[in-house]
Formats: sequence, C-alpha cells, structure tokens
Amino acid sequence: MISRSEVKHFANQSPRFDDMICSLPAGPKTPGLMVGETRKVMAIARKFNEEVVRPYALELDRTLHENPDFLPWDFVEKANEWGFYTMWIPKIFGGKGYSMPTMCYFVEEIGSACLAMANLIGVHYLGVSTLNATWNMRLISRLCRDIVAGEKNHTPCLVTLAITEPGAGTDVEEIDLVDKGSVTCQAQKVDGGYKINGSKIFISNGHLSTWHMVIAYADLDKPSESTVALAVKTGTPGFSFGRKENKMGQKGCPASELVFKDCFVPDDLVCMDPAQLAKNKRPVREINMQMIDYVVSATRAGVGAFATGAARGAYEAAVKFASETHVAGKLLINYEWAQCMLAEMYKNVALSRLSYVETNYANGIYGFFREIQKKPMYYYYKMMPVKWLEKMVSSMTEKAWATTWFRKTQFDGQTDEEICRTSGWASLCKFAATDYGIKNCHMALELMGQAGLRHDRGTEKILRDAKLLQIYEGTNQLNRLNLFKCLVAPEHPQAVVFEE
Amino acid sequence: MIAGKDKELKLLDKASTEFAGKQLAPEREANDKYPFGPFFDTVLQKAHELEFFHVMLPEDLGGIGHGMAGLCIVLSNICREDASLGGILFTHTAACELMIAAGGQDRVRTIASESDDIRKFLIACPVFNNPSEIAHLARAELKDGKWVINGSLEYVVLGGLAGHALIPAKTGNNDAAYSWFLIDSAADGVALSEPVMSLGLHACPAVDMTFHDAPAELVGSEGTGESAFFGMAAQMQLPVAAMSLGIMKGSFKEALDYSKGRFQGGRRILDWSEIRMMLADMVVKIKTGDMILSAACRNADENTPGWQANAAAAAVRIQADACDLTTDGIQILGGIGYMKDYGQEKRFRDAKHLQALLGLAPMKKLKLIEDMIR
Ligand SMILES: Cc1cc2nc3c(=O)[nH]c(=O)nc-3n(C[C@H](O)[C@H](O)[C@H](O)COP(=O)(O)OP(=O)(O)OC[C@H]3O[C@@H](n4cnc5c(N)ncnc54)[C@H](O)[C@@H]3O)c2cc1C
Repeated sequence: MISRSEVKHFANQSPRFDDMICSLPAGPKTPGLMVGETRKVMAIARKFNEEVVRPYALELDRTLHENPDFLPWDFVEKANEWGFYTMWIPKIFGGKGYSMPTMCYFVEEIGSACLAMANLIGVHYLGVSTLNATWNMRLISRLCRDIVAGEKNHTPCLVTLAITEPGAGTDVEEIDLVDKGSVTCQAQKVDGGYKINGSKIFISNGHLSTWHMVIAYADLDKPSESTVALAVKTGTPGFSFGRKENKMGQKGCPASELVFKDCFVPDDLVCMDPAQLAKNKRPVREINMQMIDYVVSATRAGVGAFATGAARGAYEAAVKFASETHVAGKLLINYEWAQCMLAEMYKNVALSRLSYVETNYANGIYGFFREIQKKPMYYYYKMMPVKWLEKMVSSMTEKAWATTWFRKTQFDGQTDEEICRTSGWASLCKFAATDYGIKNCHMALELMGQAGLRHDRGTEKILRDAKLLQIYEGTNQLNRLNLFKCLVAPEHPQAVVFEE
Repeated sequence: MIAGKDKELKLLDKASTEFAGKQLAPEREANDKYPFGPFFDTVLQKAHELEFFHVMLPEDLGGIGHGMAGLCIVLSNICREDASLGGILFTHTAACELMIAAGGQDRVRTIASESDDIRKFLIACPVFNNPSEIAHLARAELKDGKWVINGSLEYVVLGGLAGHALIPAKTGNNDAAYSWFLIDSAADGVALSEPVMSLGLHACPAVDMTFHDAPAELVGSEGTGESAFFGMAAQMQLPVAAMSLGIMKGSFKEALDYSKGRFQGGRRILDWSEIRMMLADMVVKIKTGDMILSAACRNADENTPGWQANAAAAAVRIQADACDLTTDGIQILGGIGYMKDYGQEKRFRDAKHLQALLGLAPMKKLKLIEDMIR
C-alpha cells in the first residue's frame, strides 16, 4: 500500500509526525519503574500538603500582607527537613536522584494547595537546572554537594537563577533580542576570574538562597556572544541583596534584587563562558541559546505543572463549595449549568497536565533528560548503592574531560530539530497551562460569589498566585512567539521572528 | 460619553475626574493597605462634602437628583483611580435604593439629612449577596412590640464603618419571605467581626455580623424583601458596570503609558505589534462598554420598556470584559505589573471582586433569561 520511503516522506510533511507527538515514541523507551516512582513522589507531596502546606498556607499569605518583609525561613527549613531540596539532585552527588519528570507531578500537588510554597521548593530547581545546563561537571558536583550538606546540617542551601535585569526581562530570554536590548550587568574578565557590576531583579527565593546562578555579559554590546554564567555565593564581597518586592500574590515566595558592585568571582566558580565553548560545534551565540532552551524546556514544563496545580486548586475549591452550598433552595452541585462549569474546569486541569507530561516526554527523548532516562542508565543509577556510585563516578566529575565529554554529547549531540521540538512544546505547555490556570480561577470565583472573595476561604489567593505564572519564565506573549519560532517558522522559510 | 450634552452632568464629570486624580490616585497603593494600614477617612469625608453620596437620590429625598447617569459618571471616574471608594459609594446608594424600593422613603430622607459625619451617615449592606440565594438568613421577631434580630450574616459591606446597616431577615418559618431591617451598628446585640480580608476593594471593607436580640427597624412592609432587592438590583446593575468600565479605563491608560516608555528588543514595546494588538483589544472593550453603558443608562432614566434587560446584559458584558482587560493590563507591564507599587494588580483584583456584586454571576445571567421568558 505504501513504501518505506513514502512513509518517511508523508510523516515528515507538516505537521511532522515527530513534532506532533512525543509520548508515543517515548513510551517504549521510558523505564517502567518511573510509574512507581511518580506515584511515590505524588504521595509524598500529598502527605506534605496535609501535614505542612494546608495548615500554614493562608497564615503565611496573611503574614506577608501584614509584613511584606517577612521571610519564610520556617517553611524552607521544613522543606529541607523533608529532603525536598535534594530530591532531584543526582545520586552520584549524594542527592535522592528522583527522575526529573516526577518533579512536575510533585509541584502540581503542592501547587494545588499553595503556589507560593510550591515555588519555595520548585524554583530552587530552576537554579539547579541552569547549573546543570552548563554541563560544568566540577561545579555541578560542588554545588550539589553543598545542597546535600545543607540538608544534613539543617541549614537549607538553595540555588536561584538570576537573569532578569531592570532594563531587560523578555530580552534576556531570547538571543535574537538580547543584542538589541539594554543589558547592564557586566562580567568583566580580570586576572583569575570575573568582576561583576550591575543588578538583577525579581529573583525568586533570592533572600533565602545560598548560591545564585548569575547570567552576566562580558561585552554589553554583544551579550549573545559574551554570556557568562557564574556561581555566586551569598556573602561574597561586592554582592548584596537590594529590595524585596511587594507582590500581588505568591507572597510567601520572595522576589529579590541582587546588587553587584565590583564583585569578584574566581575562575573556579565560572560555570560557562565563551572561552570554555571554543571546541564545541555550534557558534557560542547558538550554544548560549541552547543552554537557555535546555533550562526552559524543563522549567516551563514545571510552570505548566504549577499552573495545573492552580487550575486544580480552583476546581477543588469550586466543587467543594458547590457540594455543600444551597443556592436558592437547591444544592449548587445539582444545577446542570454548574455541573457543566465544573466539567469544563476538570477538562482544563486534565489538558494542562497532559501538556506538561507531553513536554517531559519530549525532554526525555530529545532534551535534558535524554541520557539519564535511557533504560540502562536509569536502572544503573537506581539500583547502584550510593557508595559504589561515589567511588566509580564521582571522582570522574572532577576531571576536565568530563565537562568536555558532557558538552560534546549534550550541546553537539542535540540537533536543531530536537532543540525546536523541546523548546516549542515547553512554550506551548507554559502558556496553555497558565491560561487554563487563570481561567479556572475565574470560573471558581464566579461560581462562589462573595464566598470566593474572602481570604479565609482560600480561593481568591489562588487567582492572585496564578497570575504570576503568565508572566515569569518568559511572558506568555514571548512563549507564543517562541512556539512560532520553534514549531511554525521552520516550515515557512519566509517567516522572520522578532524583526517586525 | 454618558454625560452627552447635559451641562450639569458635564460638571459632575469634571468634578469627579478632578477629585479622583487629586485625592485618590496619589495615595491609591497606601489606601489599599487597609486593614493593615490606616483608613482613608479624609478622602471619604471630602467625597461626602462634594455630595457624591447624594448624586442619585431624588431632590425630594434630600439628594441632588442626577439620576442613574450622574451616579454612573461619578463611579466610573472614581474607579478609574481607586475602586474602593467606588465600592463605598455603591454600597450606600444600593442601600438607599433598597429602602426606597421597600417603601422606606421617609427613613432615607432623614438619613440623607441627618449627619455631617460620613461614618454615621453611611448605610452598610450585604451588597454581594442576593438574599434569596442564601440558605440561612437571620430571623426577626416581635418582642414587646419591637423587632429584634437573631442569627448571623456574612460579608456586610461597610459593616465596621457605617452607623446603620440594612439587613435581610425572615419573619416567619424557613419558607417565609424575607424583609429588610435597619439596625444601629453600635447597638447592644450586634457583634462585628474584624474586617474580612478580601481579594479586592480593601478600603471598602466588609464584616461578618452576628445578632442576639439586636433591636431593628422594619423598612417598608413585611415580606417585601425579595421584590425590593430585585427592584434595586435591576437599577444598580448599571453602576456596577460603570465601576468596571472605570477600572478598564484606568488599566488601559497605565498600560498605554508604560508601553511608550518601556524598551525591549531595542524599541518601545508599543512598537511591537502584539502589544498594539493587546492595546487594541482593550480599546474595543472600552469603546463598546462606553456605548452600551450610556445607551442602557439613557433607557433606564427614560424608563424605556425593557431597560432592565439592557442593564443586566450591559453589566454582564462589561464586568467580564473588565476581568479580561485587567489581566492584559498587568501583562503589558510584565513583572512590574504584578507588584503592589503599581495600580494594575489592584485593578485586576478589583475587577474580579466587582463581578460578584448583587449575587452569583451565573445566577444573574439566568435571571436575565428568566425575566425574558416569563
Ligand atoms: C514574582 C516574579 C518572580 C520572578 N522570578 C525570576 C527569577 O527567579 N529569575 C529571573 O531571572 N527572573 C525572574 N522573574 C522575571 C521574569 O522572568 C520577567 O518578569 C519576565 O521575563 C518578563 O520580563 P519583564 O518583567 O522585564 O517584562 P518586559 O520584558 O518589559 O515585558 C513587558 C511587556 O512587553 C512585552 N514584550 C516584550 N518584548 C516583546 C516583543 N519582542 N514582542 C512582543 N511583546 C514584547 C511582554 O510580553 C510584556 O507584555 C520573575 C518575575 C516576577 C514578577
């Protein structure tokens, strides 16, 4: 009926089979144990919700209403006690080594009870992911061990990503924009390291974190080609915290300004700079974009999971209200229109979840998690006792060739199509799920009327919290443009993006 | 737009715009801190002195009789800057309209002329609730020939501020019709909660009230509560829409101004066509809102047959648009829009808050069709 070459030909027609669906090809390659692992992670999150999050969520939000300068160390210490800051740190560095896609299920759960608390845990992994995406094995090892030590010593060690600047938010997310923008945070090469000057704003968990993955630029006129990723520790001379924002929602999770004045960062804390990339296949500029794409392909799925949590929190509040409230003499849940509204909300939750699951399948076969999720690797790391791993693998990470090898396989080994597929799906997930999240909050508040407006009922907080999801990790507008760039424009050579 | 060529309405338009710009805008973020910051008594008193609280009340009841159009103009201008004051004005006016609809004109007249102290003058009212939708209303009974109320009521707007509160209560068994009662908020037997922390309108606070043999005054005649409520609600849909429209205008202005000064990708964000498209969508909502609201106001003031359906439809449309528009209003400012130092996040919260006025939003829609097919 059809020849092999025809199958190839038609499957590659737009929309290409490989772009359309990631879960189908990924399914058979996915280690079976991940099902049980995911179920366990979800259960842990539910237990934590019951014991810690729900009893404290409204009180924390209220405290911040009253005192915007409050820092939720108490919660961070609790999360540290429960082991959440090392859950997704690889076992070879002493972490618990849960596979990355499970984190999304975890933050969906926590986010369904409190988005600020989900961020207090989840955003740490935005910093960790950025570190990982530089594939600098020596520094990954060093910082991860610090995080693990922080858990053991009961002194939480969190990591941030600091990329946004006062004059550049959208611009720093996109290599085609950054050169036209006005970035000002400079990393100037000096003897033995870099000197940073400038500031970063809106940095989630800033005041609470020990390490900061700072993205600065050696040449402010050509930032795309001179990006420097540095690990800066709180307390480093020349680095201080500026203002802490007073936000509409997610109040429990601080957004901080980081200020650098002649802050010296030694070479051994430089995670990635142009000189380190000289031997890689792609030009430095493209690797810098690839690095951002590695990060956001994973973390935008995470934002999708936060949003699924928000959509679910709103849905759960609405269904609870409808099933215990009589309106005009009849239980609200027994109005047909209310049933349709609740079904619509349920659908929004399910579709949001599917979007992050699909994105993670893409990451599993084309992106960040590709190596670690290969069955032999996965089972090797799962089954090997930590001590053995430490002996066999850990010493390797100190060697320069380990970084070179990882960068070769990860940067050079990923095709342009694979970058587009993972980044495009992540953007789709990000704006679809966060729009659904907001939609469900609106519907819940409409269904609940006056009761929904009250802080003590918890629903209005979900709306305030969820709005942030449409803004950070690239505004939803930027993500729409990125989807276009990654999944539409390649099929239409005449299309140019970010150049009107 | 609503003022048209009417000179008096134009003056009112000018006065309320100036008042909002000078008195409300500069302290908007500070005033929004309530109850964790001070209440804006001075501003409220000024609004009282400017007779904004008397705008809609007919002259024979001690008002200045600018009708629905006048009230909508004032509310829209005020809410452009700070919807909390709009909420106070709305609540008091709705309470007066309720009393009038229930047959308590005389009592409204005395209150309107009673006090120079705004707090004593104001009437609290549970304006977010349609009492017919509530499962357990408070109960009123005659004791020694005087009405007393027992029970509780959630979310009485201005309850902690106003001298009086207008409360729905049942006078018979569970199936009985309800009536409206006026109570003195400071009377024995009336207990007030702390201000209820809420999504929006922070400086238009509500409290939960509990009554133990609280002395009460029946407004109008017994059992007319529901018809009075629907009479008031039919009219007051329009001011609700006007408030939402004002919020939209404020949000649009801030977004437009910001987009002219913020640069990304080497140009003003205003010069990215996606931002222009978002701004254009805002303009569409505002322009259509302006047109439908002024037409609906005219219909109401001229008592055109079917004006109630027009008013209800206008309110549903404009309130929903305000929720969408203010979402984009934050979005255009990016991360800045999410911060308390700017007006956009407040407008977003206030727009959603207002959508719950006068009962559950879906039930209000259903009422529209029920009235049509009746
Ligand atoms: C609470 C909070 C926490 C955050 N956490 C972090 C963090 O941990 N680390 C970090 O580095 N950053 C963080 N951010 C920053 C966040 O990622 C940025 O706010 C976001 O990328 C948008 O940037 P901006 O705020 O500068 O908005 P801008 O980039 O100024 O955007 C303003 C508007 O212009 C639009 N726009 C801009 N460029 C274009 C274009 N080319 N075409 C069309 N429209 C355009 C945007 O979509 C938006 O609507 C956080 C922000 C917030 C609010």
